[in-house]
This record gives sequence, structure tokens and C-alpha cells, in this order.
Amino acid sequence: MTTTTPGKGPNIGAIVIITIAVGLNLVIAKMMANWSYSWFPPQASSAAPYVDDLFALETGIGSFIFFGCTGFMGWVLLFNRAGKYDESDGAPIEGNTKLEITWTIIPLVTVFLIATYSMNVNMKLQTLGPKHKYAIGTDPTTLIANDPKADIGPIDVIARQWSWEFIYPNGVRSSELHLPVDQRVNFRLISEDVLHSFFVPAFRLKQDIIPGSIISYSLTPTKEGRFRLRDAMFSGAYFSQNQTNVVVESEATYADWLKKTAGQPLQPGLDPGRSLYDRRLARGDKGWATVPPAPPPMVNDPGDPSIPHDA
Amino acid sequence: MTITNYDPRILKAPHPVPGAPDNWKRFFSFNTDAKVIGIQYIVTSLFFLLVGGLLAMIVRGELITPPADLVDPSVYNGLYTMHGTVMLFLFLFPILNGFNNLLIPTMIGAPDMAFPKLNAAAFWLVPVFATVLMGSFFAPGGPASSGWWSYPPMSLQNPLGHFINGQFLWILAVALSGISSIMGAVNFVTTIIRMRAPGMGFFKMPIFVWTAWAAQTIQLIGLPPLTGGAVMLLFDLSFGTSFFRPEGGGDPVLFQHFFWFYSHPAVYVLVLPVFGIFSELFPVYARKPLFGYKFVAIASFGITFLSMIVWAHHMFYTGTPNWMRHIFMFTTMLIAVPTGVKVFAWLGTLWQGNLRLNTPMLFCLGGLFNFIFAGITGVMLATVPIDIHVGNTAFVVAHFHYVIFNTIGFGVFAGIYHWFPKFTGRMYYEGLGKVHFVLTFIGATLNWLPLHWAGLLGMPRRVASYDPEFAIWNVLGSIGAFMLGVASIPFILNMVSSWARGPQAPPNPWRAIGLEWLLPSPPPAENFQDDIPTVISEPYGYGLGHPLVEDEEFYVRRSLEA
Amino acid sequence: MTAVNPEVQLNHTPGHVKHDGHNMTGFVIFLCSESVIFLAFFAGYAVLKLTAPQWLPDGVDGLEVRMPLINSVVLVSSSFVAYGAEVCLHARKLWRFRAVWLLTMAMGSYFIYGQYVEWSELSFSLSSGVFGGLFYLLTGFHGLHVITGVLLMGLMLFRSFKPGNYDKGEMGVASVSLFWHFVDVIWILLFLLIYVWQ
Repeated sequence: MTTTTPGKGPNIGAIVIITIAVGLNLVIAKMMANWSYSWFPPQASSAAPYVDDLFALETGIGSFIFFGCTGFMGWVLLFNRAGKYDESDGAPIEGNTKLEITWTIIPLVTVFLIATYSMNVNMKLQTLGPKHKYAIGTDPTTLIANDPKADIGPIDVIARQWSWEFIYPNGVRSSELHLPVDQRVNFRLISEDVLHSFFVPAFRLKQDIIPGSIISYSLTPTKEGRFRLRDAMFSGAYFSQNQTNVVVESEATYADWLKKTAGQPLQPGLDPGRSLYDRRLARGDKGWATVPPAPPPMVNDPGDPSIPHDA
Repeated sequence: MTITNYDPRILKAPHPVPGAPDNWKRFFSFNTDAKVIGIQYIVTSLFFLLVGGLLAMIVRGELITPPADLVDPSVYNGLYTMHGTVMLFLFLFPILNGFNNLLIPTMIGAPDMAFPKLNAAAFWLVPVFATVLMGSFFAPGGPASSGWWSYPPMSLQNPLGHFINGQFLWILAVALSGISSIMGAVNFVTTIIRMRAPGMGFFKMPIFVWTAWAAQTIQLIGLPPLTGGAVMLLFDLSFGTSFFRPEGGGDPVLFQHFFWFYSHPAVYVLVLPVFGIFSELFPVYARKPLFGYKFVAIASFGITFLSMIVWAHHMFYTGTPNWMRHIFMFTTMLIAVPTGVKVFAWLGTLWQGNLRLNTPMLFCLGGLFNFIFAGITGVMLATVPIDIHVGNTAFVVAHFHYVIFNTIGFGVFAGIYHWFPKFTGRMYYEGLGKVHFVLTFIGATLNWLPLHWAGLLGMPRRVASYDPEFAIWNVLGSIGAFMLGVASIPFILNMVSSWARGPQAPPNPWRAIGLEWLLPSPPPAENFQDDIPTVISEPYGYGLGHPLVEDEEFYVRRSLEA
Repeated sequence: MTAVNPEVQLNHTPGHVKHDGHNMTGFVIFLCSESVIFLAFFAGYAVLKLTAPQWLPDGVDGLEVRMPLINSVVLVSSSFVAYGAEVCLHARKLWRFRAVWLLTMAMGSYFIYGQYVEWSELSFSLSSGVFGGLFYLLTGFHGLHVITGVLLMGLMLFRSFKPGNYDKGEMGVASVSLFWHFVDVIWILLFLLIYVWQ
């Protein structure tokens, strides 16, 4: 049994303990929220800070709830254990309607506030880089200038089993995505076979690519570097190989690269699933059924996957 | 005095003669006794827990190193697909139906289910579709390997072009599983509505019965659309239609709606009975009434209702329009409210209790601890901007395993230990049980806690290989997974040896309050037979000093004499 | 938990509950669940009709409505006939019940025959795009229910010759009749969806 006794007057001991516990919990929650920023890759797009701030907020609230509840459990485990031969019953409390209504209302208000705040953040993200899904069968040639605020684009992003191909407005093709920093860029996401997903963790952005639809998608990189672009929607046998890099560079470097690459002849681009598929064939095509990888895209600049990426 | 109106079919059903020695053969027959069927379900599903666990350990073995080096990636994909399918359709759904079979009739004082033959048929479908699913390992081209979502067009690719292929058998097995579940759900709901003991109004039912009812309601509403979607997928795969084939004008995203309309609520089908188990066990081992019984009971149906309107949160990044994402974000977060009511009620039940930490209580406390964590990551995943980053990454894998194993699995183990004496008539060994708990808790935490960070850093789910920066999290995860494999040893040892030669269990070893504890251990066929107690109090009257039923002493004495 | 004192004489009256007549409850629950699968198909139909780039297959202008309309009238009126049969049974006019019940079956069978004729005259197939697939899926799935209904009615007709079949009530006939109404209501929705909304 604990020291708290139900009585008329305020129980000073209980109030002190609860105050200390809540204060401590608030400090821990704040520390967790601060710590949460380090769990992410670097912030490399204009969307990233918003996502990280929102996550830190929820980590803080979540930590407060988690440590509050589990701290309570710890307290109970320490002080409300039955002795070995103690067969007596606990305090016969059947409930407390006021308390129950309170803990229905408070979570309701809390999630309502979180949801409203998240909705605002989402609207903000939408203005940073709108996306629009065009219905199945829409003529792609009618999609010119669907994001009038974009500085660059539209760049066609073509996903296949299992390779990426990028076609720039001047006709240059590459296997790695080159983007100028701090420029809003518009993509047309296209899949030629199954579902894929355009996922750049450093940008905190992800968009599924639906075969039969064309999705207009915009974003603004804010940090120079090489960032991983991963396929995040399961797409078959060599799904995990289906990644490439986004090279974010200064505007001048980007312009140079475009000009230089335009002069290069077309050659087979990166085809990351191929080596595993060849290995499989060399071993007598053992394993379970898979479609063969699509032929590698013909590009002007296949890029170099051996250069280490930043995130 | 007593004219009982039994359904004559129940009396004619092939029960072992009451009082006759138990015969192990009844577990291999088309027996219509719910208690036999319950044990059939539980043992079958525990076998498939081992199968699914073995598949999981191969998957984790592949992921212990960054490159795809243990198995061919195509094999890896098939293994993780089958892992998910086996764990859901052959472990979790059947084991909870096993609990429903054991507990619903005994807790409400019914002699059996409303439709005993339908009940047995529903069970015997499990081995049938299990055979279909396991047989798909030997299909040309191997088993289904498009994930348990089976999203088209990937699932429609059928590389070898055979009519009978892994995906075909997978859809068939899932459809059969759906039929079995519907049969079960009709039975459970009818039993709960029609066959409660005299005096047991809805607000005198144990919470497990409430949650089972709420869960089976989801099955009744949710499974048909999944079956509809599966039929359409099967037609696309095998009969040349193009519902989901973009090249024929179909819409692949439509399947996702069908799929998630059931498959998100499916999680609540699994977790609700576990909430029921928590609500049963905390009062027993804290020796206190359940805090706010009525709130907890109603919250179950709150979850049922909300679970029907949240499915599109799985599709925030598929091109779903913003208004829809916002609506589904709100509804999803609202689920935190009824769930929170339950969590706080359990905490309130523990407060000032007299806690006894035996194995079932440890699993309950561990499950509650993990569930609070899983609930918080769940709200994060419901937040559109965060989900766009962490969706389809290891973070999601970590979150749902925290729900599905670290909460539901823990609750299932708690329930097994708690009701083991009642339905086998034997006590389990406490020491082995505690070893099982400690290994399971450490293993489960080690397995899935680190994966949250891998996901935040951007490691996609379902990958056979990954960039080296994710290695540390995956090594930890794999060690945890192998530890969970080891944890099954004390569990199996305990169950087998206790059932074979454990000490005889008294009718009520935990001094628990509930109709099932007024029966002998194990309960006879027909439970209370033609003398069903009249319920006069709310359940969980620990420390309140009033009896649960009229003439309680009579029933207690009868159970002791049996 | 009550302590046991074997010295005390217990004055105990066994409680009991009536455990019969929940077949209808179970059947109604099943029908509710079954209706959701149709709702799912209807929703899928509506979504695809609104979004598909090409709805009707090449060379198909739409569906002919006259024949299906006659068919629908027959099916829907058979619901009232089935109800009439139930009334006869309730009044224990067994032969009249059998005759009217048989008429319901005949009307159901006519509907299936009408469906068969319609299917065989259509210029598109299951694999003709989204519309073809949905048309055959929906009408076929509903047709399966009609066939099931007719077979169940046959079973009830057969059982009506068993002596003492209705001693415990008319649950079987009532359930099948309910199923038949369900099938009819689904058809009305389906007819509106496929034939009227073109």
C-alpha cells in the first residue's frame, strides 16, 4: 500500500511527488525532442525542417506520455507488490467518472491539436512543392508547365524494374539525378511497369509512382551533396538494388554538367539489378520466379555509383 | 423445476461422454465441442508460429549483413511474403479464434457455440488453406512473392505464365481463410447475442466478450471487401480481366482501397481480444476491480467504429488528394482516444492494487509497456508529413511489430498461461514461464526498437540488401530475432511437459472471478450443462465482497467435487 | 470468490436459458456481412466508371435495357410471390404453399434463363476492358446467388414433404425467403447501377 490516502484536505506529500515527477518528465520530454533531430539524415530540402520540427514535437509529447505511463507502472511495481503469502485484495476502486471523462477529453483535445497543426504543416509543404496526379490515360504532352513556380523542369523521372532514368528539359538523359541547389524543380513521375516510389530520405519526401498515371511533383533541394534516391514501394525481385543518387550542386556546376553531358553519346546507364540477375543466371537460374530486369536505359551520363553518398 | 430447452443437435453432437477419460483422438476428429475446437485452433496456430518464426529468422539472417548474400533476392521476397501471411492467417487469427472458442461459451455460461457444426467446419478449413499455402512453396516459380499486400500490378506479373502459381494459391488460401473467419464471426456474434447466462445483461459481460464481439463485428464488415478485392485480383491474374491493370484501363490504386479497408481494421480484430485479455488479467493479479468497466466496454465499439474509416492512412503517398489525407489523419488520430481510455483504465486498475507478478501478469505488463510505445509511434505514422518520410520504411516495420508481436503476441502468451490450468486441468511451471518472458521481452525489444532508427534514416522495408550505414540497427535486430527463436524453447518445454505431467490444477488457481472459474478444470463438455448460474453482479468484483452469481457456494463446491 | 463451507446446506435452484431459435439471428448476421461484398463491388464499379479513360469496349454503345427490365420485373415480383407462399405456410395450407413456392422457383429460374440469353447475345467478353470484367463479375456473382436461392427453395420444397417438418417453426422457409428478398434488393441496386446509369 502506498502512502497516499484519500482525504478531504490536500495531501502535501502526494502533490510534491507528482509535481517533481511531472517536472522531471517535462525535462526528459524536452531532451528527447531535442535528441530526435539527430535521428534523421541531413536536411537537404525545403520540406525537411518542417518534417523534423513536427517529428520533434510529437517525440516530445509522446515521450511525456510514454515516460508518464511507464513511470507510473514502475511506481506501482515498486510499491504495490503483494507479499509472497499475501492473498488480500487491493483497494476496491471501481472507477471514477470524472477522471474517466478527463482522460477521454484530454487525449481528444491533444490529438485534435496535433492533427490541426499537422494539417497546417502539410498545407505548407504543399505550397513548397505541389503534386498532382493525372488520371490514367492522360496525354503526357498536355502537361507542360503544370507547376508555374518551378525554376527547373519538368524533369521526367522514369522508374523501371529495376533502374531509374532522368530526362532533362534539354533532352539530356542520366542515371543519376542532378539538381541545382535552391532551385524549385518539377518532375513528372512515370512508371513503365509496376508501382515504384520516389524516396529521398534527405529530402524527407516520398511519392509513389503509379503505372498508367503521371504525377507532377515539385521540390526544392537546399543543400549540396550526394543523396540516396531509393525505391520505397516493393517492386519485385531486385527491389532493394533499385537505388541511385541525387547530386545536388551549385547552379553553375549544374549548368556546366548539362552542357557537357549534352555532347556525350548515349550509353547504357546504371542497371543495379543486373549483376545479381547475371549471378543468378550463372548459377543455373535457381531461385523463385522473377521477371528479368528491364534493359538498361540509354543515357548520356550513367554516373558513378562508387562515389560515396552523403545520406 | 427445470425444463431446459437445449438445441437437440448440441446434445446429439459427438462429445466424449461426460466423466469418461479424455481421449487424445478427439483433437483429431470433427469434434463439435467448442473447448476441443479451441485447443485445436491454439495448437495448430502455435505450430504455425514456429513455421512463421523460422521464415522470419531466415529473413533476419539475410538482413544481418548489408548485401543480399544468404538467399537469392527472389527467394527472400517469397520468404518474407510467406512470413507475413503465415503469421497473420495461420497464427494470429486462428489463435484468437481459439481463445474465442474456449472463453466465450465458458464466460457467458453457454454450453457450446450457437452453431457447433459450423464451428468445427470453420476450424477444419484452417488445415485446408494451410495446406494450400504451404503447398505454394512447391508451385512452379515458388510461392507468392509480392508481399502480403499483393499490390497489383506487381502481383499480376506471373513470370512463368503457369495457371497454378504461387500468387494464385495465395489468393485461394486467403479467400478460404476469409470464409473460415466469416463462419467463425457469425457463430461468435450469435452466441454472444443469444446464449448469455440468465441475468447477464450486456453490461455484466466480461470485457473479453465485449472485445471479441467488437472484433468479430469488424470481421463481418471488413472481410467481404477484402474477399471482393481478392476475387477481382484473381480474375486479373488468371482470367484476363483488367480491373487493376493500367494497360487495360484499370486502376491499381483501387485494390489498395479494397485491401486496406479490411487489412487495417484486421489489426483491431487482433488487438481487441488482447485488450480483452489485458482487461481480464490486470484485475485478477492486481486484486482490484477493473477501473471504469463501462468505459472500457464501450471503448471497444468505439475502436470498431473508427477502424472502419481510417484505411487510407496507408496511402498518404500514393497520390491521394490532400482533403482525403487530412480526413484520414484526423480519424486515425481519433483512435488514440478509445485506446487511451483503455490504457488509462488498466493503469488505474494497477493503482493501489496488490500485484502478483506471475508469468501471465508479466506478459500483460510487458505487453502494456510495449503497447504504449506502439501507440505513440502510431500517432506519428498517422501524421501526414511524418508518414511521407517514414512510410514504407523500417520504421513502419518496427511500429507494426511492436503492435502485432510485442503487444498482441504478449497478450496471447499471457492468455495461454492464465487459462492453461482451466482448460488442460494442469498447472504450468512458473520458473520456465518466467524464463520465457524474460527472453521474449529482451528479444522483442532488441529486435524491433533499433529498426525505428533505421527507418528514420531512410531504410526502406522489404529490402533484401541495404546500404552499410544501416548495418548496426539490423545486426541488433537480427540478434533479437534469434533470441526470440530461443525463447520458444522454454515455452514449448513448459507447455508439453505441463500438459503431460504438470500438477493437477484446482478449479480456480488464481482466485479469479468469472463464470469460467466456477467450472471444474478442465470444464466438462457442455460446461454448466443444464444448471447455468444466474449472474447478479458486474464482473471483476475483487474486494467488493459480493457474489458474482446466485448460490455461488453451490457452484464453487460443485466445481471442487468434480 | 466465495469461501466454501461444506457444513452449510445450500438451497439452490438451477438456472436455465432457452437455447433455440438463434438460426435466424445467425442468418441475418450472415446476410448483413454478405451485403457488404456487394457494396464493395458496387463501390468498385462506381469508382472505375468515373475514372476509367475508356469505359465501354470498342464497338459497344451501351446495354440493351428492354430484356433485362422484363427479367427484373419477374425477379422482383417473385419476392412478393415468396411472401405469399410464406403466408400460406403460416396458415398451414401446405399444398397451396408448395404450389406458390414452386411458382417462385419458376420465376427465379426464368430470371437465370433470361440472364443466360442476355450473356450469350452480348458482343463483349470478360476480358473486354474494365466494363466487360465488371459487368460479368457483378451479374455473375448475383446470378450465383439466384441459383443458390433456387436450390435452397428446392430443398425447402423437398423438406415440406417430411412429416412433422414444421413442428418447431418455419425457420428454414423464413430464412430462404429472407435470402430471396435480399437477392432481389441487390438486383434492384445492380440494375440501377449497370443498366440505368449508362
